[in-house]
Amino acid sequence: MSENKPNSALVIGGGVAGITAALDIASQGFKVYLVERNPSIGGVMAQIDKTFPTLDCSACILTPKLSEVSRHKNIEILTYSEVGSVTGSAGDFHVRVKRKARYVNEDVCTGCGDCAEECPVEVANEFDLNIGFRKAIYVPFPQATPNVYTVDKENCIDCGRCVKACQRNAIDLDMKDTTLEFHVGAIIIATGFQLYDITDYPRLGYGHYANVIHAMEFERLINAAGPTHGHLIRLGDGKTPKSIGFIQCVGARDVQKGVPYCSRVCCMYSIKNAVMALEHNTDGEVWVYYADIRAFGKGFEEFYEMAKKRFGVKFIRGRVAEVMEGKKTGNLVIRVEDTETAEVRLIEHDLIVISPGVVPPIGMDTMAKKMGIEQSDDGYIQAEHTFFGPTETKTPGVFVCGCAEGPKDIPDSVSAGSAAAMKATIVLSQGGT
Amino acid sequence: MTTEPTETTNENEEWEPRIVAYCCNWCSYAGADLAGTSRIQYPTNARILRVNCTGRLSPEFILAALDMGADGVLVSGCHPGDCHYTSGNLKARARWAMMETAIEQAGVDPRRVRLQWASASEAQLFADGVREITEQVKELGPIRSEWK
Amino acid sequence: MSDTKEEPRIGVFVCHCGHNIAGVVDVVSVAEMARDLPNVVFSTDEMFMCSDAGQVLIKEKVKEHNLNRVVVASCSPRMHEPTFRRVVEEVDVNRYLFDQVNLREHVSWCHTREPVKATEKAKDLVRMSVARAAKLENLPIKTVNVLPKTMVVGGGIAGLRSSLDIAERGFDVVLVEKDTQLGGNVAKWTHLFPSDESGAQVIGPLIAAVRKHKRIKIHLNSKVSDFDGYIGNFEVTIKNLSSEKETKVNIGTVIVSTGFEAFKPVGYYSYTKSPNIITLAELQEMPPAQMLIRPSDGKPVKKMVFIGCVGSREPGKIGHEHCSRHCCSATAKAAADLRDDVDESLVLYQDIRTYGKGHEEFHRLARQKHVIYSKFPTDAHPNVEVAADGDIRIRWFDVLAGSELEFHPDLVVLASAMIPPDDMAETAKMFSLTRSGDGFFNPEHIKLAPLTTHTAGVMIAGAAQAAKNASEAVIDASGAAAKAVGLMAQGEVEIESTVSHVISDLCSSCHTCVTACPYGAIIMDEEQTPPVAFVQEAKCKGCGTCAAACPSSAIVMYHSTDEQILTMVEAYLCTTPEPEGGGSA
Repeated sequence: MSENKPNSALVIGGGVAGITAALDIASQGFKVYLVERNPSIGGVMAQIDKTFPTLDCSACILTPKLSEVSRHKNIEILTYSEVGSVTGSAGDFHVRVKRKARYVNEDVCTGCGDCAEECPVEVANEFDLNIGFRKAIYVPFPQATPNVYTVDKENCIDCGRCVKACQRNAIDLDMKDTTLEFHVGAIIIATGFQLYDITDYPRLGYGHYANVIHAMEFERLINAAGPTHGHLIRLGDGKTPKSIGFIQCVGARDVQKGVPYCSRVCCMYSIKNAVMALEHNTDGEVWVYYADIRAFGKGFEEFYEMAKKRFGVKFIRGRVAEVMEGKKTGNLVIRVEDTETAEVRLIEHDLIVISPGVVPPIGMDTMAKKMGIEQSDDGYIQAEHTFFGPTETKTPGVFVCGCAEGPKDIPDSVSAGSAAAMKATIVLSQGGT
Repeated sequence: MTTEPTETTNENEEWEPRIVAYCCNWCSYAGADLAGTSRIQYPTNARILRVNCTGRLSPEFILAALDMGADGVLVSGCHPGDCHYTSGNLKARARWAMMETAIEQAGVDPRRVRLQWASASEAQLFADGVREITEQVKELGPIRSEWK
Repeated sequence: MSDTKEEPRIGVFVCHCGHNIAGVVDVVSVAEMARDLPNVVFSTDEMFMCSDAGQVLIKEKVKEHNLNRVVVASCSPRMHEPTFRRVVEEVDVNRYLFDQVNLREHVSWCHTREPVKATEKAKDLVRMSVARAAKLENLPIKTVNVLPKTMVVGGGIAGLRSSLDIAERGFDVVLVEKDTQLGGNVAKWTHLFPSDESGAQVIGPLIAAVRKHKRIKIHLNSKVSDFDGYIGNFEVTIKNLSSEKETKVNIGTVIVSTGFEAFKPVGYYSYTKSPNIITLAELQEMPPAQMLIRPSDGKPVKKMVFIGCVGSREPGKIGHEHCSRHCCSATAKAAADLRDDVDESLVLYQDIRTYGKGHEEFHRLARQKHVIYSKFPTDAHPNVEVAADGDIRIRWFDVLAGSELEFHPDLVVLASAMIPPDDMAETAKMFSLTRSGDGFFNPEHIKLAPLTTHTAGVMIAGAAQAAKNASEAVIDASGAAAKAVGLMAQGEVEIESTVSHVISDLCSSCHTCVTACPYGAIIMDEEQTPPVAFVQEAKCKGCGTCAAACPSSAIVMYHSTDEQILTMVEAYLCTTPEPEGGGSA
């Protein structure tokens, strides 16, 4: 029954869930193709500054995983690539992967950076949420895996200075996209999430007022490797904010906006960011405006208590009605009903950080349709069954983990990554039956 | 051990005690790590030495540290019953009484040594332990004044 | 391979960790100081030692300067020691010739506002590590085989799922359950909130599949009574609780899925004072009936109330500080489902944590059905009193209405905490697991290794790790199975070489070490005259208790020798004075 059936798996998405799944399949001796559309694996976790509830540095705990993946003999990393098509069935899928031209030969580039030094083009750095700058030839972050440069051809002016600067002749500005085809026995979808587009809430001022930012921008601002080298400043005037307000449940638990579900991570990442803000500026004050504090994971409630008691983070229960800007100061005034006292309050802050909810990533619908994978009403991949198949999809041989199935924090994504790997290897070991 | 102990005391600044802290890898070292990740602040005086288990520590290690000029010694391990190696910490506890007698006979104030239990999740407890022995030893003054 | 007999040539690498260390500690001066230490031939500082660039730097400098010892001053070795050990091995330096200094967790993060003293401490720690590095010795890298069999402890939904996955993947399983039947908590529930299935419907097919599978051997009414050995080669004794019959099994890996217990909230809200005050678990266990009836007299319930966070979220109360995670959603579903049976239904809560997929919908449905949600203050919980005639009166302060309220329900349902089972301490001891503040087991790493533990070869799954719902337990179970299968499929695994060794010439045959060893790893070698102590390395876990106990100093604890420890103390306390004029070494 299993003659010549492919003994390998495809993992789509190189975030922490996909990485975990890839490692757990590879450790059993099966080959894994790990496809990631960005130039580096690492996903959102690589962008985050610290993690809750231990305040560990995110990149620091992720890096060993990245290098483990890169040196694993059974894992082939295909970055800057997207799945083109999938045909076949469990045990024998035929996969086409489009490899976008990165204009740098991955096998030759050593990541030395000579090219970027020469490059005359500076563009906004998407890894830093466009706050900082990068060159048109770049690595997204210091621990990028593979540690290889990529030419952003949209912004490249074809001056050829990088080509000359590269002592290893790794740069080829005429490189073409290629297609890779292979067979796999099982597929894991680990395509993650994106943040809700909060410009959808004009009353909160994001996009209009310089000192209203969102949580991921905050992460980059407090990150030592970020655009301000870890100095928390207001983007409007470069001042250090003393009073910061965090607004919760934006693009989450909101039926009108089509996001009726809870995003699971925003309460905790905001409490963490609130604590970090006080770490950066000990005489500052931080307020969190929330609906319910959902500190449900291991050690979360204890962390919430610590934020209140030890760090003095102030919590106000109430949905923020609007944010107004003081013309001269650039300060923001929040109008909110404190539902515990039934008072409408106006509170002034130097900086507002909005905590956007989690939504399916761009391209999810297209990919799911192309692969014929069933989605749930909210756009995520539909799991087969809550108890019988929480990491299985409705298509046999295709599994799902991490936020591709719905919002999850890191440990839940990691557990699901391992679980999906287990299911995939059962298929691989049985030849698809 | 031929090198002469150096005096770090400088008359112009406040005297800071030097404390050797032996921590077991599984509970207290991890607790100290958690104190760091939780950003709990405590005095800088202790230098942590990682051993697998407090059971590894014969009295010699404590006495030698005091002899070489440590103003205090902290030994921190898993709670009784929680030892990663079943019972190493109980052995450490059993030796402790004997060790205290020994240092007392040598004329050293037993308040310079402290045995504590702090688990991997008890960051505050660990930090408090360092703070307490530091303050205690500050009151007692430099150890040089005590050796007979 | 670097030879330990060679003169030590030490390289020191000081990590900025971005701003994490360099923001407090003057890393440049630390690296400069290290340059002048004995045996140091190279010292530098670098932005991220763990990054590719940092790793390449170590390898280049080892080759360039012919280094045979490496010290990295960065974060906790509990995080990156494996990373750097691998790096040095790639350039033929034995992994035991690497030493790591913890400048982040133990210095910059806990002395944030004392940069000068922090830098002084950092320098001391680096000096100590360099001294230790000079005394480090090559140790052999040892691998052991992994027996292709897993023991799963606990036959609840997690244990069943793990067992079945491993068996379907083609490996043998021994499943040990202390109860007389499989299924754990889920099997007891006639209503499996949050789902429309009963516990039996969910657990039934799993039990049937596990029973049928020829690779799974089930031990019911049994407990592990002895656990010995090491990763890949554990020797287990399973004891039947009635017959006391003992079975010995050799296994390669373990999954501990011993679950939770629903807290019996004696002392809370007049629980036990009236049969009509029950826990959510007890509600879930009620036999299916046409109508919801009062336990006291069998009459239909007209007015009911749920109270949340019973024995959960109590700051300062050990074992009850955590959120029990499943109760808000289960309460919302139960309240919505039972709303049609009763005239009035209330949920008293602190926060509503319906976080999971579809859970917010239960909450919304409950509200649509006019279940009344009322928030009580964190510091003033509701008061429940039972009158002599059995009438239950509940009074509380509604935060949002800002007023005292009173209600006389027929039935009070307490959403009580998930706590560890009463034999948790025993299980922890058996498998050398540590427990966190919530009483459940500590994972190896709370973010990235939630399913493995610090006991190599022992995994945890489900509510044994933390409060969680059945679906999450199922995911954990498959994940833990993957970890076990990964080890078994590789067939062999590297183990630590940090064991004890007896120098037979010095041994006085006193037997002290034999009794000191908690693992029975030391025996007397009777073939020698007189018989001397001998360490069975495979059984030795490296605690070093024997080395401390030996009155003849005949025991060497590899990688933690007396000399390696004391040289650090000496390097801290007995620094040689700085040379005048700062001449180069």
